[in-house]
Amino acid sequence: AWGGQRRLSLSYAQTLQNIPETQVTTLENGLRVASEESNQPTCTVGVWIEAGSRYEDTKTNGAGFFMEHLAFKGTKKRPGSAFEKEVESLGAHLNGYTSREQTAFYIKAFSKDMPKAVELLSDLVQNCELENSQIEKERGVILQELKEMDSNLTDVTFDYLHATAYQGTALAHTVEGTTENIKKLTRADLASYVDTHFKAPRMVLAAAGGISHRELVDAAKQHFTGTSFAYKEGSVPSLPRCRFTGSEIRARDDALPLAHIALAVEGPGWADPDNVVLNVANAIIGRYDRTFGGGKNQSSRLAALAVEHNLCHSFEPFNTSYSDTGLFGFHFVCDPLSIDDMMFCAQGEWMRLCTSATDSEVTRAKNYLRNAMVAQLDGTTRVCENIGNHLLHYGRRIPLEEWDARISAVDARMVRDVCSKYIYDKCPAVAAVGEQSSYVCPDSLNHSGSLLVSSCLCMGGVPRHICH
Amino acid sequence: MLSVAARAGPFAPFVSAAAHAVPGPLRPLAPAVAHRDRKVPLDPKRPLLCRESLSGRAARGGLVVSASLNAPASVRCVHNDVAVPDFSAYRRQDVQDARASSQGSSDSRKGFSYLMTAAAGVTTAYVAKNVVTQFISSLSASADVLALSKIEIKLSDIPEGKNMAFKWRGKPLFVRHRTQAEISQEAEVDVSQLRDPQHDLDRVKKPEWVILVGVCTHLGCVPIANAGDYGGYYCPCHGSHYDASGRIRKGPAPLNLEVPVYQFVGDDTVVVG
Repeated sequence: AWGGQRRLSLSYAQTLQNIPETQVTTLENGLRVASEESNQPTCTVGVWIEAGSRYEDTKTNGAGFFMEHLAFKGTKKRPGSAFEKEVESLGAHLNGYTSREQTAFYIKAFSKDMPKAVELLSDLVQNCELENSQIEKERGVILQELKEMDSNLTDVTFDYLHATAYQGTALAHTVEGTTENIKKLTRADLASYVDTHFKAPRMVLAAAGGISHRELVDAAKQHFTGTSFAYKEGSVPSLPRCRFTGSEIRARDDALPLAHIALAVEGPGWADPDNVVLNVANAIIGRYDRTFGGGKNQSSRLAALAVEHNLCHSFEPFNTSYSDTGLFGFHFVCDPLSIDDMMFCAQGEWMRLCTSATDSEVTRAKNYLRNAMVAQLDGTTRVCENIGNHLLHYGRRIPLEEWDARISAVDARMVRDVCSKYIYDKCPAVAAVGEQSSYVCPDSLNHSGSLLVSSCLCMGGVPRHICH
Repeated sequence: MLSVAARAGPFAPFVSAAAHAVPGPLRPLAPAVAHRDRKVPLDPKRPLLCRESLSGRAARGGLVVSASLNAPASVRCVHNDVAVPDFSAYRRQDVQDARASSQGSSDSRKGFSYLMTAAAGVTTAYVAKNVVTQFISSLSASADVLALSKIEIKLSDIPEGKNMAFKWRGKPLFVRHRTQAEISQEAEVDVSQLRDPQHDLDRVKKPEWVILVGVCTHLGCVPIANAGDYGGYYCPCHGSHYDASGRIRKGPAPLNLEVPVYQFVGDDTVVVG
């Protein structure tokens, strides 16, 4: 162990209380600086920005992803490969990701290099060069990447799920954009994207590791003061609500050996307290993969069923949240002939949660969730990401102690009520990829669930369409 | 419209549009035949009858290229390009706006759908029940058979004091026009002394008309009218005496003569049955 730390025997509650507090400072231009100090030789520093594919429209869809590709290709101060070389000379890792509602760039470096890392990040975010030759080169790279992403069927399924669940809205866009856009986006489009969305009040500079908050704030003041915070003529981009449509999309391809199905109902946004209960519900449902050794003796009822009747290769529940909406559902991979059976069992499990979730399984799920919450925060990068996410979603860092208290407050009755609120008698969105010759259709979610009758009533929005 | 849709499957390395420029409508697609010196991983002897035949050979689901006689050719590159069609023409008013949450109107939309289903269900059940009963009731007695079950009697044909017999449902029907003397006589009879106690007025609707089934309640013979000791009927088989109201007074019969269901229609007609 580093520095030969003595092992202290503290209780779980004491450990939670002893986690250092996240300190947050807001600069004058609105940039939030947050950090969690811990005695480590390394640190992770990053910028989390409220920008993503949800902020794009049909013509600019893919600009964020394009921008992420170009971000590492040189800035005005460090053109060409100078930027990457400088990062590597520190022995640091530079990484970034773009999702539907946020973009992040972060550097993992030694704690002593934190000021340098902050400078590099500020350069990246404020001075990206967007050189034309690089843009043209990246087009081919991105198209190739898109083609490769097509083979990751899980991601394809989730993209289709978003495309159908939020059809006609900005959340339907994929993060990467369409091939047409990739070929057509110009430097001007990308520059305009950066100008519109990379504004100080929408950014969080987060850090975790062996750094001091005071030093971090000093570095931020030195390098990030220039970040713009004003909009021309009040053209502040607003984020309109995205309408959820209960619908279905099937990308049938009988050449594929398996079927990937994802089913979701509309869930709550980030800040809704129901999320804790829904996560407990997901922990009750559990996950399963053919390689699990538990067999029929797994605590997850659905997993035990899956093993006994050979229903699927794997399944997992999910609860994806956005700022004001979300998708709560499950995804499974199975043989084409058992799609209907698996769908029936999974929906049956949902119904069971709505009506008869028991105390013992809720207790088990709560413990599992507590464990997952804590175990997830191993390493400075995870902590830093956690800080960035929380500040963007909740406006503050929610400490583990509070999470623990919220989880403890959940009981079986709450699980039943909250599940009924989101699941019962709601129209789901379904995405299916792969071989589906034997797939009929999912029920609308109520008790009697007669296949033919309720499938004709799609209250949510109507469409039950088949798309190749 | 002739159209050919083929999977590029085994030809994917040669027709992979995502990695190369997408051919425009005027430029031809890359040739779908491999170089001669390379082995094409396809069995030419197996007949390629439909798209499914080709798809079985594909290494993985590849691109779809479609060409047709008089419509544009198209190449779908990646899943990002798949656009969910616009279904606004089918949407209900409440969910037309893509910028408003659909949760708020969810209850009213569901309510409407459930109401329509319930109403349709009730209507269907009603119609189905009617159709079924109509078909099944066609198996029951027809109108001409039912007509035989009733008899219409013209009362002015029967003079006072006279008893007329008709054939009704295979049995004799007695219609007696009683005189006032007979009526008062029957009214004065002590009901408690009768074997089958019934007051005369309980057996008639209009006292001057008594309508009876002319079958003796003993063993089923036909009594003779205006005979017997009580001014009514007398059964010759075993000597049962009935009075002018059809009640048993003497003899082996246990019950009074049966009074059928009848109705006076107008002044002059009675419908029995």
